[in-house]
Amino acid sequence: MLLCMPAATNATQHDEDNDAIVVENPQYGEVLFYFYQEDYFPAIVRLLAAQQQQQLRGHAVEAELLLGGMYLSYGHHLEAADIFERMLADNVSSKVRDRTWFFLAKIWFQRGYFNKSLDALNNIKGDLPVALRREALLLRAQILIGAGEYDRAIGLLQNWQGETEWASYARFNIGVALVRSGRVAAARELLDDLGNLNPFNEELASLRDRANLALGYALLQDDQPAAAKALLQRVRLEGPFSNKALLGVGWADSEMQHYQRALVPWMELRGRDLLDSAVQESLLAIPYAMAKLDAISQAADHYLNAIEAFYEEANRLDRTMGYIESGDMFDKFLSDDPLATTGWYWQLEELPEGPEARYLFHMLATHEFQEGLKNFRDLNYLQRNLDSWQANIEVYGNMLETRMEAYDDRLPRAQDALGRSDLNGMVSRKLEFDSTLNNIEESYDWLALASASEFKMWGVISGLQSTPALRADFPEAQEVRDKIRLLKGVLQWRLERDFKERLWRMRRDLGNVGEALVATRRSRRQIDESMRSEPRRFSALNDRVNGLLPRIEGMKIRVENALEKQRDFLQSLAMSELQEQKRRLDIYTIQAQFALAAIYDISATAGEATE
Amino acid sequence: MTKFLISLIAIAGFAFSVTAAAQDGAEAKSAEAFRSLDREVQTLKKEVLDLNRDLFLLEEELLFPANSQVAFFISMDVGEYFELDSVSIRIDGKEVSNYLYTLREADALIRGGVHRVHMANLKTGDHELVAVFTGKGPHDRDYRRGATLKFKKGIGAKYVELEITDRLKKHQPEFVIKEWE
Repeated sequence: MLLCMPAATNATQHDEDNDAIVVENPQYGEVLFYFYQEDYFPAIVRLLAAQQQQQLRGHAVEAELLLGGMYLSYGHHLEAADIFERMLADNVSSKVRDRTWFFLAKIWFQRGYFNKSLDALNNIKGDLPVALRREALLLRAQILIGAGEYDRAIGLLQNWQGETEWASYARFNIGVALVRSGRVAAARELLDDLGNLNPFNEELASLRDRANLALGYALLQDDQPAAAKALLQRVRLEGPFSNKALLGVGWADSEMQHYQRALVPWMELRGRDLLDSAVQESLLAIPYAMAKLDAISQAADHYLNAIEAFYEEANRLDRTMGYIESGDMFDKFLSDDPLATTGWYWQLEELPEGPEARYLFHMLATHEFQEGLKNFRDLNYLQRNLDSWQANIEVYGNMLETRMEAYDDRLPRAQDALGRSDLNGMVSRKLEFDSTLNNIEESYDWLALASASEFKMWGVISGLQSTPALRADFPEAQEVRDKIRLLKGVLQWRLERDFKERLWRMRRDLGNVGEALVATRRSRRQIDESMRSEPRRFSALNDRVNGLLPRIEGMKIRVENALEKQRDFLQSLAMSELQEQKRRLDIYTIQAQFALAAIYDISATAGEATE
Repeated sequence: MTKFLISLIAIAGFAFSVTAAAQDGAEAKSAEAFRSLDREVQTLKKEVLDLNRDLFLLEEELLFPANSQVAFFISMDVGEYFELDSVSIRIDGKEVSNYLYTLREADALIRGGVHRVHMANLKTGDHELVAVFTGKGPHDRDYRRGATLKFKKGIGAKYVELEITDRLKKHQPEFVIKEWE
């Protein structure tokens, strides 16, 4: 029964109940053959076909649950939910049921169906393994945070047992949510705790950095630069968040008018990758601090360098946007094994090569893009599947036509041959034989079963017996008469001796003839039936072929449209990410130009004053 | 200027939040666009699956009409140390299939999957099937076993399952043949 839980089975790798399988229909076993290879599309098609043909009588309930599980694994979550809502309550253990709702909740959350996700979580009655229970709790908390119900989310998580990564993530999410809603004081304790945690792995170290960064910036905005600096200095210098932390440390010093100190982290940032917004901002921050320190000329040089750097980066962004608009980028996501089915478990594991990846890696990792990409790949698979069927169905149409022509061609010859065969006459003759044999047996007519040579010999002997010369009364004639009588007697003795055996053989042969005649009559009836039904069968198949072809064509158009829309959607996500980066660069450029103009103005005014 | 720049970077700093639901207007619009497309994809998936079912059935009826159809299936009921390499099938003296199994397929068989290795159209009457499998057992021992089945093809479709099992002789896999009408 655990077969019904592919999502659960796959996600947890193993399940101890999995080996209790008794396959009662080969068709069901065939579905499992594809299912176990995680080849969900052909598995679902075979299951649907077997259900339609009522071939799964021994597995009706399991098959329906398996179908639900496969729909879920294939990412066909709405259909999966329909089945689970109908089937789960009465047919599976609470353990299996809870796991199924959990995975459904997860897939809905990833796809942004938050209410459905919450409904699915509400269906869990408490029989989940500990790891999944924690994840379910976090999922619920995330939904609550999303809905702005921070206090409920905090309440949900405050009884969390143990210092697990999940608990830390949960607290971090709440802290960030509180900051975003302006409740910095409430967030402070949560994020500060996380910022002080002793990480036992890279994941937690990264989370610790993020907590310090988030709270550090929140305090900066809240005019608490000293406290902010202490938090930002906790961030690792070489971690993924170090750029933002260095920038923030500089701003904290700058807020406290320690411009000389602020230059230290900013100058460190200046040599790093310009793609990072913190590095971009440092290019403006450095001349800002220099200007504050009255190093006007150096400040002007740095502003000019920044404008140049922003201009080049903006050009690179423009080229990347042009490439994305061409649509070629998305074909890269299909290039690996385009015919493989995808499903919920597929993940983009490597960034595509090319300049766009460097600008888009944040966006590529989001649920929205990943799930959109899965749909894009799934649609591409459907398109290829339909292409292949379209080619096949045209061949089948031709094949059917050829068969119909061949049938029409052969039918008259077959009817002629059948018309010449006198099956009824053969049956009558067989019955006559039966009757004759009965008479022979009743009258003990041993001579009737003599072979042709024996019968001929009997005739010769009888002919000799009636020869007039042999009727003479002298010794030689008497001797010949005795010899003839002896010969006749021997022949008669042999025929009488073999009579029973010959009769048995004759009956056996007649029996065989009778069976052959019955089989021939049956075949004849089948031929007659085929001749009646075959045109109907051809016509029905022809109708189906003719009906399916437009369905394929119509579906192809719809899939093509959906593929286009999905591509546009992904493209718009990528473009808005790049436009946002471009907008930021534009703002920085304007800031730099404005500051530069101000410096020139101050310099000019100072020059005039000196003159 | 300080505040302005900080606010920009602060927005960027919080962008890594995993809280997908905390959306501003643009994000909410994009999420709705995603869901709308997702629903369309879901509907299409369902319809294409149903179409595939109809096409699959048509193909089978067309290529293998019920009155002549015979399907040969491979299944396994063996200890975990048996590794199936290949199965070859001869019908009435003619080789019709020689199938090499990938590790993934062999694993699916061990877990309870059944592979339809061959479909044929056969006349009603008597036929002979000869099947041979090769594989490796414990201690890397090579196995090659065969089985012969004389079977009668009736009017309806016929299914023949060739089960590789070591239940009869411990660690000695061999074929057990089952027939379904």
